[in-house]
Amino acid sequence: MAQVSIGSLGDFADGELTRVEADGTALCVVRVGDRVHAICDDCPHAEASLSEGDFLADDMAVECPLHGSAFNVETGEPDCPPATEAVRVYPVTVEGDDVLVDV
Amino acid sequence: MGIALIAGAGMAGRACALTLRRVGWDGEIVLVGDEVTHPYDRPPLSKSVIVGTADMDKVVKPAPETYAQDRIDLRLGTRVEAVDAAARTAALSDGTSVAWDAFVLATGCAPRQLPIPGLERAHRITRMDEALALQALLAQGPQRLAIIGGGFIGMEAATAAVAHGHTATVLEAAPEPMARPLGREVAAHVLRWAQARGVDVRAGVAVESVAEAGVVLAGGEEVPADIVIAAVGQAPRLELAEALGCEIADGGVRVDAGLCTSVEGVWAIGDIAAFPSPWADEERIRVEHAAVAIGHGQVAAERIALGEGLYEDLPTFWSDQGDLTLNVVGVPRPDDEIVWRGDTETPACTAFYVRDGRMRAAMSVGDMKTLRGVRKLFAAGVEPPPAVLADPDTDLAALAAAG
Ligand SMILES: Cc1cc2nc3c(=O)[nH]c(=O)nc-3n(C[C@H](O)[C@H](O)[C@H](O)COP(=O)(O)OP(=O)(O)OC[C@H]3O[C@@H](n4cnc5c(N)ncnc54)[C@H](O)[C@@H]3O)c2cc1C
Ligand code: FES
Repeated sequence: MAQVSIGSLGDFADGELTRVEADGTALCVVRVGDRVHAICDDCPHAEASLSEGDFLADDMAVECPLHGSAFNVETGEPDCPPATEAVRVYPVTVEGDDVLVDV
Repeated sequence: MGIALIAGAGMAGRACALTLRRVGWDGEIVLVGDEVTHPYDRPPLSKSVIVGTADMDKVVKPAPETYAQDRIDLRLGTRVEAVDAAARTAALSDGTSVAWDAFVLATGCAPRQLPIPGLERAHRITRMDEALALQALLAQGPQRLAIIGGGFIGMEAATAAVAHGHTATVLEAAPEPMARPLGREVAAHVLRWAQARGVDVRAGVAVESVAEAGVVLAGGEEVPADIVIAAVGQAPRLELAEALGCEIADGGVRVDAGLCTSVEGVWAIGDIAAFPSPWADEERIRVEHAAVAIGHGQVAAERIALGEGLYEDLPTFWSDQGDLTLNVVGVPRPDDEIVWRGDTETPACTAFYVRDGRMRAAMSVGDMKTLRGVRKLFAAGVEPPPAVLADPDTDLAALAAAG
């Protein structure tokens, strides 16, 4: 795994989904307060880009824009069908202002 | 433990085999499928596969080596030919015989055969090999398609083809396509949205025959086409269930909430299963949708391995028609009363299916927030009156949380 900088904390608005390319991997990134979460942007179910969906703050989950499965940003698990597989979760560390992802 | 034999390596059979190992079944797992492709997701066939945009690693999954790793004896291109309930044996087309302890029927549906002369000229798209054959033709350049049957599969194929530079005419016998699953009122709206995207739909027409140059309608009119697709529905494959002596109900194999048939040691899952559901009024329902097939496969595996598990999920399904994605939560019936929320001129509205004053299902194209609220209402057992549902200002998730 390589640690890749994907920008500074200020680049990410709280609770908003952003698509980021890190080392050839498309990520769906969301900042919640001082923490940042990154999951694979490609929905495991079909052909949606998760960053085009919504962040559900109460559930800490990203809702797929196509069929509505919502993936927990910490575990990757979907909460309802049609998705049945978890989305890959990428560890993120914030060093000072720098946001680093293990991809 | 012993041997679990699964007949049919489709969406339900695959889920059952993989789950058996995950929940600790240590016996043999024999997964027999008559298709040559490794198990795959069927829904993309009529959508991304025919137009060549599918990521095949995401369609054919899990990776083929998974079966060996999980010690699943996957027999592709092989049929379960005969089965004996008393002796607990099955004869396969590869010449072997399997002595089973648990037998899982996951044989899915076969395309309906209609007595239309020339129908054998038409393409089918219910199997991977068929969808790839059509993909090869569509890759040759713009084609004129005539699609017989305006169900979900026909409408999906039409919208996908039109979005990729082909033309498509859908020929449907009923007054509106998709009226059987969606009801006429909702189907009429969906039809308008699809037409606005360039799909030509001829509803209320009878197909007389399929000829070299296209489709001939009753009365003699010819709909010219380079490619004809038959998407005229399907029916459960029940031969093995009948041979086992399983009770048949509602056109499918009658099972209990643990997917067990009337014959001990025999389960039935997916499209062929007529199962009890807490979400339906009917004693049993049969559902031809992917999420149900997967859920059935998982529950049957738990039953077989652990002796516990009930299938009680809220049925849901989707249909991608170009940039229109229909999402349905619950069990709609065609004669339900429809209550709308939001502007019905746009796909961002939601249709609630109401029966005896209670909401039983919801369909929306663009309003994921409302559908999420509906799921939460169902889960919490909260039943707001239809007028409250219809008000776009009510927060359904908050109503569910308030109990
Ligand atoms: C083109 C298409 C598009 C669809 N789109 C959607 C959608 O958008 N959303 C949705 O929710 N659902 C959709 N569905 C429905 C969904 O795919 C099915 O509900 C699901 O595949 C059912 O799973 P199953 O395992 O019961 O049957 P299947 O997946 O059909 O698998 C049954 C398998 O058993 C094999 N078989 C049969 N008899 C034997 C035998 N004797 N021996 C060995 N093998 C045998 C068959 O060849 C087949 O491979 C679609 C279906 C099709 C065909
Ligand atoms: S593509 Fe994401 S849930 Fe279907």
